[in-house]
Amino acid sequence: MDALFTNAFLVAFVSGTIAASLPLLLAGLGEQMSEKAGVLNLGLEGMMLVGAFCGFAVALETGSFLLGFLAGAAGGMAVAAMMAALCVALPLNQIVVGIALTLGMQGATSLAHHVLYSRTFPRLPRQPEVALPLLSQIPVLGPSLFTQNPVVYLALLLVPAAAWLYRATNIGLNLAAAGSKPAALDLAGVSVTATRAFAVLATGALGGLGGAYMANIGAGLFVPFMTGGAGFMAIVIAMLARGRPAWVLGGALLVGFATSITTALQVAGFNIPTDLVLMLPFGTIMLVLTLFGRRAGLPAALGLPYHRGAR
Amino acid sequence: MLGSLTRRRLLSATGAAVALGGGYTAFLPRAAAQSAPREVRRIAIMTPERGTDMGWNQAGITAARAAAQRLGVQLEVAEGLGYPDIRPIMRELAANGADLIIAHASGYNNTAFEIGVERNVPVAVVDTPRKVTRPGLVVDYTLSGHEGAYIAGALAARKTRTGTLGIVVSGEPPSWNSQSHAFAQGARSVRANIPIRYAVIGPAAFSDAPGGRRVAEAVIAAGADIIFGQGNGATMGMLQAITTARATDGGQAWLIDVIGDKSQAAPNHLLTSVLWDITETIIKMVEDIRAGRFGSRRYTIGLADGSVRLLRTRHITDAEWAEVEAVKQRIVSGQVQVPYVADAAAVRALMSDVQAPAAR
Repeated sequence: MDALFTNAFLVAFVSGTIAASLPLLLAGLGEQMSEKAGVLNLGLEGMMLVGAFCGFAVALETGSFLLGFLAGAAGGMAVAAMMAALCVALPLNQIVVGIALTLGMQGATSLAHHVLYSRTFPRLPRQPEVALPLLSQIPVLGPSLFTQNPVVYLALLLVPAAAWLYRATNIGLNLAAAGSKPAALDLAGVSVTATRAFAVLATGALGGLGGAYMANIGAGLFVPFMTGGAGFMAIVIAMLARGRPAWVLGGALLVGFATSITTALQVAGFNIPTDLVLMLPFGTIMLVLTLFGRRAGLPAALGLPYHRGAR
Repeated sequence: MLGSLTRRRLLSATGAAVALGGGYTAFLPRAAAQSAPREVRRIAIMTPERGTDMGWNQAGITAARAAAQRLGVQLEVAEGLGYPDIRPIMRELAANGADLIIAHASGYNNTAFEIGVERNVPVAVVDTPRKVTRPGLVVDYTLSGHEGAYIAGALAARKTRTGTLGIVVSGEPPSWNSQSHAFAQGARSVRANIPIRYAVIGPAAFSDAPGGRRVAEAVIAAGADIIFGQGNGATMGMLQAITTARATDGGQAWLIDVIGDKSQAAPNHLLTSVLWDITETIIKMVEDIRAGRFGSRRYTIGLADGSVRLLRTRHITDAEWAEVEAVKQRIVSGQVQVPYVADAAAVRALMSDVQAPAAR
């Protein structure tokens, strides 16, 4: 047990929390924007998978992690474009299309992996990290929290940026109106379709970035189905966050912490059923749902297609 | 006197009870019994991932191909199926004339049982809770390379620099539990008090590569420099952790894999692998169907017939390999008994108690 309170283990524990949280944070922020605009984006899991595959493939081919992340975001946006075309422009049932996209992208990425990588399983080298001056010298927290890949800092900066966008800009007001009173937005001369499409595309970009983080930083490789339901967890976190980006951050960190503590408890040798330990992340989500679910306060037009002129 | 309505209700209730009882007992394990011999001209195998994973799926498909060739039967491979509803696929395989369907994933066992009974096609399933079989139709072929894992544990205990070993698994199916248990026993046959850090990535985290990496890094940070990994796709994440993280003494860490040979994917970090060859198991299944005894016996793999063996890599010295061979001979001769322990609680208890006695 003493061996677990070494610097190395505590650094691994905090780093594990960040690694498990970050994809949820990025995808959760994206989903939050989509939901604000009235689109329940169940295709998020598929967007993350495509982002993971594209991010990995481009990083592997070019050796550039920046290009890899850009490709991940672009891949997620490509799937989001399908979602926007089918659910916003047409508009079809969001739930059916979202699930279909997720299933379709699971198959597509699995097939692409089979064709390209299934005989060699290539892996990426360790990613470049940026150590923040002074902060990175703090014991334990320095090497775990403040020595990270730039995309981690970008994700954290997105939290106040999203809060500012929602609170202080016309775009934020338009997004809220598209999700709550789309007819009023239409009357004001702003296109509901364009507003919702923008939100869905942004969701795709952030979900794809989250997927690329999982593949390029989290695992250093791509394997089929590797997102393992992270997209659906991000949807729950976004719903519980009641439109507040800071709550998405809190929810993602909570789940990441619960995920990381499961490993710590096992490695420490606590002889408790593993099933019980492994329930922690899901149990945490269920507990939060029970406590705060009723006050989730979702937009009035969430999941409803908007038909101009329809009563 | 009972009224006609009451009589009808009683009859209905009795009928329902009989139907339910019959349905229930159909799924209970039965004693070994003979069934009618059948001809086998075509076999099929279903796997959740592609047969190129250098692990569980590849081992199943490669063995099925080898068995089909030796038996002179046709083979249909349905690979990369994931874990959706496999009923339509199984019905299609049955309609195509499969005389044996091997459902090569623990996630398929309930459905495969159901469709085997429905289509009257023999099916082979793995990891059913109580090793359910049904003579003539269903057999559980849960296998374990625990004898090989024991040798791997002994090798790891000799090879470790930090004096701590790790076990990382992406689930706790019976075969992996037995191998984890045997690995620990093998390690403690060499160093009785060696600490072993044990962690499960997730409830069924077979494809969770990021989880495999995260957990393996934590186990390395807790002092382990050799990790016994069992994880399918998640093993690739473990390999990444082994490649990028340093052990607590500053040196490199090693992975010991199971079932397949991943030395091509990680030539510098794979210490060895407990290799499985289930060709003979599949051949025995076909022979049993033809002889009318399918579902009446268990199948095993082991060191004696070479269906389980340790992979020799260039990282194992001649002296270490000689010791591996010596331990193998002691197991084959019966001098060392390696128990099959499939219970997860027993595995965990062993990991948390560094004083646990070693098998002698």
